[in-house]
Amino acid sequence: MSAGVCADDAHRVWARPEIARHAIRDLGAGRRETLLLVDGVRCAGCVRSIERALTAEPGVVDVQINPASRRARIVWRDPDTSLPQLLDAVARAGYRALPLDAEALDDVRRHESRSALKRLIVAAFGAMQAMMYAGVLYLGDPDALDLATRDFFRWLGFLVATPVVLYSGRPFFAGALRSLKARRPGMDVPVALAVAGIYVASLIEAVRGGEHVYFESVSMFVFFLLIGRYVEMCARHRAGDLTDALARLTPPHADRRLPNGEIERVGIRELVPGDRVRVAEGAVVPADGVLLAERCLVDEALLSGESAPVERRRGEMLVGGSVLVDGPVDIRVERVGSDTALAGIAELVGRAQASRPRLAQAGERAASRFVIRVLVLTGITAAAWSFVDPSRAFTAALAVLVVSCPCAFALAVPVAITRALAVLARRGVLVVKPDAIEALAGATHVVFDKTGTLTEPALTISRIETRGRYSDAEALRLAAALARESRHPAARAIAAACPERVLDAATEVEMKPGLGVRATVGGRELRLGRADFALGERLAKPLDEDAVVLADDAGVIAAFRLSERLRPDARDAVDALERQGVKVSIASGDSAEKVRAIAAKLGVRDWHARQMPADKLARLAALRERGERVVAVGDGVNDAPVLGGADVAVALAEGAELAQATSDIVLTGGRLTHLPRARAIAIETLKILKQNQRWALGYNLSVVPLAALGFVPPLLAALGMSLSSLVVVLNAMRIGRRDAGAAARPLERPAVPAEDPA
Amino acid sequence: MNVLVVMIPLSLVLLAGAVAAFFWAVDHDQFADMETPALVPLDDDPSVAPAHASDVIRAGTARR
Repeated sequence: MSAGVCADDAHRVWARPEIARHAIRDLGAGRRETLLLVDGVRCAGCVRSIERALTAEPGVVDVQINPASRRARIVWRDPDTSLPQLLDAVARAGYRALPLDAEALDDVRRHESRSALKRLIVAAFGAMQAMMYAGVLYLGDPDALDLATRDFFRWLGFLVATPVVLYSGRPFFAGALRSLKARRPGMDVPVALAVAGIYVASLIEAVRGGEHVYFESVSMFVFFLLIGRYVEMCARHRAGDLTDALARLTPPHADRRLPNGEIERVGIRELVPGDRVRVAEGAVVPADGVLLAERCLVDEALLSGESAPVERRRGEMLVGGSVLVDGPVDIRVERVGSDTALAGIAELVGRAQASRPRLAQAGERAASRFVIRVLVLTGITAAAWSFVDPSRAFTAALAVLVVSCPCAFALAVPVAITRALAVLARRGVLVVKPDAIEALAGATHVVFDKTGTLTEPALTISRIETRGRYSDAEALRLAAALARESRHPAARAIAAACPERVLDAATEVEMKPGLGVRATVGGRELRLGRADFALGERLAKPLDEDAVVLADDAGVIAAFRLSERLRPDARDAVDALERQGVKVSIASGDSAEKVRAIAAKLGVRDWHARQMPADKLARLAALRERGERVVAVGDGVNDAPVLGGADVAVALAEGAELAQATSDIVLTGGRLTHLPRARAIAIETLKILKQNQRWALGYNLSVVPLAALGFVPPLLAALGMSLSSLVVVLNAMRIGRRDAGAAARPLERPAVPAEDPA
Repeated sequence: MNVLVVMIPLSLVLLAGAVAAFFWAVDHDQFADMETPALVPLDDDPSVAPAHASDVIRAGTARR
């Protein structure tokens, strides 16, 4: 909590490149990006003071802080400032910041939840005991109670209330002090004033032997507030779970192979590109690297949400964080640290959590204004009552302070958005820009790209035409032996279609880009590719252009017809969107014939073929001009500029591509049905957010005047305030409840049967 | 009323004892994970390498 913890030399560690590498992302042109976890952020006031401290630092380009996830995203220029300097700046503002890193995150979080639990339990026991002692004072027969006994019980109340106020209530005082120092009163200020006020006033009354003491009220007040804070903390921790899970997926060490073949165990941070690393069966791939063994199966479920292990062949990329199903294999490390795909995804999610949506900014401004008004109103109440009835001035002013609940205002938006982000992430929908939630909820039109979006990115074999000399299976076997040498999509489709894993070896392999593969299998030259290439001069009659032909010197062995396959859930997704009242259209660069076939299968009437990117952009612009709110769905890599023209850009991405996708929302695992579900959750989020805001406004408007008029005793005020913030938090927790049964959590393998492409 | 002389200090001692016991439990991570311990008995052979991703995470961030 205290700034003294972060000695400057602890920050110096981050100047060492091999450590900083994991926390700093290079944006090019000397610009660096860092995600910090800031301890002790509670409200808009804290955010403002950290922002001020950081922007005052030379070389800081951009600062974004999200109090709900306690993440600060900083963009800075390299020679002008450095990571240790940034950390120092945050420490000077009175907060502890740690560059987002697996171990640090664990530590900060454990520390926070431990101390929160302890404070809560001290407050709970203290409040319970104080109530018991107060019960004697309230319920006992006033005549039987002599003054000495009364004072004895009052001092007992003081004894148990003291640790509650001074220990359990300390976060409120620390928070208030910090926000006052930043001259930006947050919601801790009225709370701290109220707690201190009730406690000191009761102490004075007890010494004087006055009318009333409120030791039990102050204990209950602190206890209720802490419950609210605790629930909020749990929600915050849960929301951060996904990013943290991603960040922690990489193992702490790796087995590096030395030049002499021996294995050396090294820390993950010591790996550099070019290292040869051994991965054992069942182990986690430590970094992105190229497979050096013949083949292996890896489980990328945690990255893509897909359950079936995927096969990787020699030379293909293994993504760090995926689990090796069979092994051991060797890989050559290509990317480490924050360059890996996994770090990219974690960063993507983190960026979403660190950026403050428009809605939240408005909410914070409202809360801040509200706090100032409450403080003014408290002063007026005290002044007014001291004219009318000075004995009640103190109680009434106290009640106003306590009963008003800026927390409900301040929490209404961030709690709902944070919850929605977490719920969506658990369903495989990564929201990169939180503003997209609002836009998605109001969307009226969805424009799909076809290739790779409505259809699978990979081609499949629709038909094999053999010329009598070989059976289909034999032809496929021969073709696959050639096809596996090539990375062309058509070749991959043929290789994937062959069920056999042990194939005749192809020798003298020769690639002809754009034409096909020539190789010798079983002592015979075979050609696989375009008809004119495979058959050479013996091309008798022109064959279909889209057929892939396998031929030897004696002529055609087989022709393979390839087709795009519709994603299995495309129809469901389109139907669900139309049920939600959203118009659906398809815009594709492909030929009219193919687009028509796909559109007919999906029941989409509005389709456009042969669309160049400029045509697509014009179409989106025209739709938006007509007042439609447009969602564009594409693969996010090839059609990024087109996606940028929509209100919400949605990308379908898997594995390593995830990190490169430029979009507002990423659907992982290639599941289109996530889209209508995400829209339903977005609508629900907005509804709950509005409910929260209305509740906060209604509650405060109805109770503050009552308190000012002196109708609310301090204990009831404490109860009301805590309950109202609890209502906001619990209401936000309802988001995604309804559709919880349909959800597949990414950490559990969803039971989706893998389709056999053959 | 003399009974108060015994009962009140006793209540305070019990209170202190309860708080101390709770602090001990918190410090020994008894509340750190409220979900997975319930699943441990269902694990067939705990000595086998973790088959679940969350186990990998947990194993990876062993306490220092």
